Amino acid sequence: MRTLLITLALLLLISSHGQTIEPLHHVEDAAKIPIALVHATVHVDARTTLVDATLLIRDGSILAIGKKVDLPKDAVRIDMHGLHLWPALIDPYSDLGLSSISIAKNDGGSAVGARHWNRALHPELRADELIANDTARTKELRKQGFATVITHRMDGIARGTSAAFVLDDGPLPKSVIEPEVAAYFSLKKGSSPDAYPRSQMGAIALVRQTFLDALQFGATSVHEERDLVLGSLSKQLKERTVFEAEDRNEVLRWGRIMTEFDLPGMVKGSGDEYARVDAIRRMGVPLIVPVNFPDAYDVEDPYDALEVSYARLKHWELAPHNAAILDSAGVSFALTAHGRKDLKDLWKDMRRMVSAGLDSARAIELFTSEPARLFGLDDRIGALKEGFRADLLVTSHHLLDQRNTIHETWVGGKRFIHSEVSPVELIGRYTLNLGDGTWELNVTGAPEKWEATVQRAKEPDSSKVKATLQQQGPLISLVFAPKNSPDAVVRLSGTIHRGGLWDGQGQRPGGKWFPWSAVRQADRTGTTKIDTAKTEEPTQRSVINYPLVGLGWTDLPDTGSIIFRHATVWTNGAKGILKNADVCIHEGKVFAVGGDLDVAVLFPGKHKPTITELDATGKHITCGIVDEHSHIAISKGVNEGSQSNTAEVRIGDVVNPDDVNIYRALAGGVTTAQLLHGSANPIGGQSALIKLRWGHDANGLLIDSAPKHIKFALGENVKQSNRSAGSGRFPQTRMGVEQVFVDAFLRAKRYDLEWRSWQAAKPKYRGTPPRRDLELEALVEILNGERNITCHSYVQSEIAMLLHVADSLGFHVNTFTHVLEGYKVAKRIADHGTNASTFSDWWGYKFEVNEAIPYNAALLHDAGVNTGINSDDAEMCRRLNQEAAKIVKYGGVSEEEGWKMVTLNPAKMLKLDHRIGSVEPGKDADIVVWSENPLSIRAISEKVYVDGVPYFDRERDLQQREWIATERDRIMRAMIMAKKNGSKTKKPEPEREKLWHCDDLGDGSELDHIAP
Amino acid sequence: MSYFFKQIDRWCRNERCFPCLLIIAVFLLFGPGHVSAQRSIPAPQQTRSVLITKGTVHVGDGRTIDEGAVGFRNGVIDFVGYAYGATAKYDTTIEASGQHIYPGFIAADTRLGLEEIGMVRASVDKQDVGSMEPELRSITAYSVDSRVIPTVRSNGVLLAQIAPEGVMISGSSSIVQLDAWDNDAATMLADDGVFLNWPSAYDRKGWWAEPDETDKKKLEERKTKLGTMTAFFQKAKAYSQDLSPSTIDQRLFAMRGLFLGGKTLFIRADAARDITEAVQFAKAQGVLRTVIVGGYDAWRVADLLRESKVDVVLRRLHSLPLRPEDDVDLPFRIPSLLKERGVRFCLGNAGDHEVVGLRNIPFLAGTASAYGLTSEEALRTITLDAAAVLGIDNRCGSLTVGKDATVIVSTGDALDMRTNNIVHAFIEGRRIVLDDHQKQLYRMYKDR
Repeated sequence: MRTLLITLALLLLISSHGQTIEPLHHVEDAAKIPIALVHATVHVDARTTLVDATLLIRDGSILAIGKKVDLPKDAVRIDMHGLHLWPALIDPYSDLGLSSISIAKNDGGSAVGARHWNRALHPELRADELIANDTARTKELRKQGFATVITHRMDGIARGTSAAFVLDDGPLPKSVIEPEVAAYFSLKKGSSPDAYPRSQMGAIALVRQTFLDALQFGATSVHEERDLVLGSLSKQLKERTVFEAEDRNEVLRWGRIMTEFDLPGMVKGSGDEYARVDAIRRMGVPLIVPVNFPDAYDVEDPYDALEVSYARLKHWELAPHNAAILDSAGVSFALTAHGRKDLKDLWKDMRRMVSAGLDSARAIELFTSEPARLFGLDDRIGALKEGFRADLLVTSHHLLDQRNTIHETWVGGKRFIHSEVSPVELIGRYTLNLGDGTWELNVTGAPEKWEATVQRAKEPDSSKVKATLQQQGPLISLVFAPKNSPDAVVRLSGTIHRGGLWDGQGQRPGGKWFPWSAVRQADRTGTTKIDTAKTEEPTQRSVINYPLVGLGWTDLPDTGSIIFRHATVWTNGAKGILKNADVCIHEGKVFAVGGDLDVAVLFPGKHKPTITELDATGKHITCGIVDEHSHIAISKGVNEGSQSNTAEVRIGDVVNPDDVNIYRALAGGVTTAQLLHGSANPIGGQSALIKLRWGHDANGLLIDSAPKHIKFALGENVKQSNRSAGSGRFPQTRMGVEQVFVDAFLRAKRYDLEWRSWQAAKPKYRGTPPRRDLELEALVEILNGERNITCHSYVQSEIAMLLHVADSLGFHVNTFTHVLEGYKVAKRIADHGTNASTFSDWWGYKFEVNEAIPYNAALLHDAGVNTGINSDDAEMCRRLNQEAAKIVKYGGVSEEEGWKMVTLNPAKMLKLDHRIGSVEPGKDADIVVWSENPLSIRAISEKVYVDGVPYFDRERDLQQREWIATERDRIMRAMIMAKKNGSKTKKPEPEREKLWHCDDLGDGSELDHIAP
Repeated sequence: MSYFFKQIDRWCRNERCFPCLLIIAVFLLFGPGHVSAQRSIPAPQQTRSVLITKGTVHVGDGRTIDEGAVGFRNGVIDFVGYAYGATAKYDTTIEASGQHIYPGFIAADTRLGLEEIGMVRASVDKQDVGSMEPELRSITAYSVDSRVIPTVRSNGVLLAQIAPEGVMISGSSSIVQLDAWDNDAATMLADDGVFLNWPSAYDRKGWWAEPDETDKKKLEERKTKLGTMTAFFQKAKAYSQDLSPSTIDQRLFAMRGLFLGGKTLFIRADAARDITEAVQFAKAQGVLRTVIVGGYDAWRVADLLRESKVDVVLRRLHSLPLRPEDDVDLPFRIPSLLKERGVRFCLGNAGDHEVVGLRNIPFLAGTASAYGLTSEEALRTITLDAAAVLGIDNRCGSLTVGKDATVIVSTGDALDMRTNNIVHAFIEGRRIVLDDHQKQLYRMYKDR
């Protein structure tokens, strides 16, 4: 043993010393002694194996590799008989050596340097300039087989560049094998002390504006501002980029940004990509995917089990399948161990991925050749090839075999031994040759506690006797007495060699010495087969819902041609309410409405579609409800709000298609919603108009070529009246609010003029174009009548103020939303042709709604204002029909007009009334079948169609309830089994949704809801 | 001026006085701009007997009487039956043909009168500091002058249980009638209950919170809380056994009724495990009567509730399912699930905007009637069963001879916002003014 250690120590010294710049403190080890690893099973890459081959290392690199390699005379030979050599692993996503470096620490909280105003942007920071050795983590990584990490500082939105860093504990200049490998971006501002951005949409807006600025910066040599952030970015955007996503929807969000700016990069995902694999494949962007699976929940207590959501149950089951699903979909990706709580079980999880269907060679490529290729390092790492770095692993078995042990990691020829090879090698069956015949030796047990039995070869078990086996390093002694006779005691002493060969001298009874040997029978030599019987039990690859929540679809519904017969039809058109009428929908549109529709007349000629006839006797048919003011289906923050004007942020960037409130709203008859920015600032963000096409991804929800809208706000929220301590940002009064608008539009006009004069100039005199400003661009659209304002408002004075500002600056206010004192200035609103979208009966929740009355809608309506009722609330949104009924109660509007307040009138506000808002031929087939008069409290929506597709069907919903119960039960039983089999579990926790209201600040990490 | 109004008010209260109504109408239409300053004057004692007749009588216990009548004098009902059977003489007869006669609606667990404008701190008196505060009495802070109260009456809600909020033991509730000059006059039943917020076994985390970070500290904190609470209840029980204690301990004193009778323990809990734990706790502590408030999962533990005679004040029906894949209509269906399982319950409205939205209580019942209950069963949840849960069914909750004449008349189905239109309301026979400042503002701007 001692000799072995000395040899190792020597090897460490002689292994990989090239010339060094650092002054020597001793005599130089001048000789570059080559090392030959002989008789090994060499896995050149994940798919190519050489049995009994030699790998020759010199000066840290692979000099030669093959079955027959001419070894230099001075080569040190290391016998690798029975062992496997693999290319070492690369982790492409790491913060090794940089985890303690944050913006706050770096800046001391204040901006330093000639740099950009926003401190979430630090693209100029280079990993190679900041990296420090982290020996504890480095050792952990090496133990699991990593020789290289691509590491970067994970803080802020623009995070700087990474370095390829090898885990050799060497001097840092040598360990960084490549600086500036890629530039990194996220949507989290991290430790930046700046208020902006506080929401995800704000982060996306900042990214887009900054990318525009950087491209412009890069395109010119004359800079008004010598900004080192833009300078760095302008270069980085042409090179390799990595974008961090925290869930599958963020992956797709980055995809859109990459397309917009034509960026060649990749996205680091979160491990749930399987649930949107088609959309992610269509993105065509490589991914980095974590090997990190959730623990099972402890669901043995059925009450506790209630608190585990279906989505989490499914993720437990499907997460190990992610890699296999991505791979078979043809998505290009590499793996990372980043984010794991514990590296120790990495290989267990790798085996789970393989047992879940991922090709085993592919699994290894995803940690070797794939990251090398994606990061342009495939000329030196990721495989065992001549000229490559000698980064390799020595293992007992195939990497993915459960019995495998990673004995050694070599990093640039430097050898790190994690576990001795010899002790475990003793276990097995041996042919023991004592000169006078062969015996069979069987060794079990563990170091210090070996157990051995010996019997005559080819004789029955009766001759079996126990033997005493003692091992100390490479030395061994074996004592036994055949037939248990003390007279026959045989004592053997010898040496263990690699490959299961022992030899030495023995002494027979009577003191006679003789040579002996033992050769292991069932040797593992050259075996590359994985012991499949021992791989991890796979979790079931169960059906994936769209979206992956309990109420998601297992099969998306499709459109058809339907005639509803004998219904009461609320047309919202000239025909009014038709009794005993038919409605035909076809190809996603309303095709015909009237009494006794005749198919032969509707579809003359040969091409008669397959028509489903539905008897709707006693039912009421209406168009879908249009919610003008909604905050459902929004990810990570409804308010940017950190500046008084955030016209640049877009709800459309953060639509969350997985929000169960989409389905709930649909079940209440809602088919279209305007997703509005909150009301924390005077000029909020741009709206998203969606149809509730439950099951589709964010793109599938957004209405094609929808008119553009934006949120404005007035009053207590924007002047921060209800915050415990005002931030002191301008404005804090209604006086200030007015001036914010005046200022914004004056700036927008100047901006517009600047662009117009540039465009008007002859191309050769133009010079560089003006800077594109996303905030002012949105305001110019308002001035040009291309973007419509929805303005949160309460008291009459502020309503009058905005109308006045609009008149004087030349823009139009499309809609006042809430507008609870609208009744006091109804005529003025009507004269401006402005819409009013109000609550039926909300009041008194804050000072400015003290004079709100439920008669508001009726008074506005009577004054000639196009008036609607909105929800601003995920719950009320599903009962907007009842809210419409309240307008009949309070103020006596007719039922037909009351109904229009949640359908046609808001459709007009959204400028979508040419497509939705009534049941008339040519309109989108957004149709609700009600059990009775939709204004009745007893009305239940039975079927809801969007574009002719039945996205809600009460019968199907009832079936789905059974199905969810069965599916939950199945997975929970699997979890209970997993726990019994020793898997880690965690305590169930309720998953409460984040519901947004106008005043919610932040990204949901804090509950700071104030009021609508 | 106020004297003038009082006079008119008195005239038109006492008899069907069309000329008086006309004078008022004319005055409201053409009078100077003082309309918004007008307040609804609390009604005086009933002096003249009233018969409401020829309407559909919804008794409140599930029965209806078509072409029925309800008669009352001196504040007490003395006739309920078919209209033709009302042979006694009444000073005033109200024709209600085609209309609906109900017991006044009852709202349990509200902050009415404790919170005027949610965001204006000075107008909010619903929660104090401290964690074991049974001695805090909601009736002390209740404001009979709240501008919300008339709007609530306008939709038929005439009685309410005013309950404080707070960390653990929030305080003591009282039951009031919604038309009074002062708090003494408003009080129907003082200190009817103690409200306790059960510390949930599941700490609620936002959507973005890391799911697997079970906060061990929180679990420990909960253990401590439960320990403190148990000790407090034990002390309170012991204290209650001494009928003439030598020292007055306000806190323990306020708990006596729980062990000696007369006070109900209202425990706020939603999850099945929390409810179970809470009920067992109350039993173990010797609490005589317990009601669960919230009760989202109450139907899952119905056997326990039924066997333990524990009623439920159900959380607001018009709310979202608490768990992501719960049936979309589960909150609407809980009433029918409880009904099927034999648990007695009434409806609450706690939550956002609960005070200004209290006038929607009848529509919560209406929704229950769309999801499994009959209309009359739904009505019970805000009348007779509400009275029973609150322990006042001996006096109100149904149109029954001998009970308080707390009655409303609606031109249409009062549980449906489409038809709810309350035209008459009486509390203990006193005819209530159904005007409110919102109606006044409406008239003011309609006729501008």
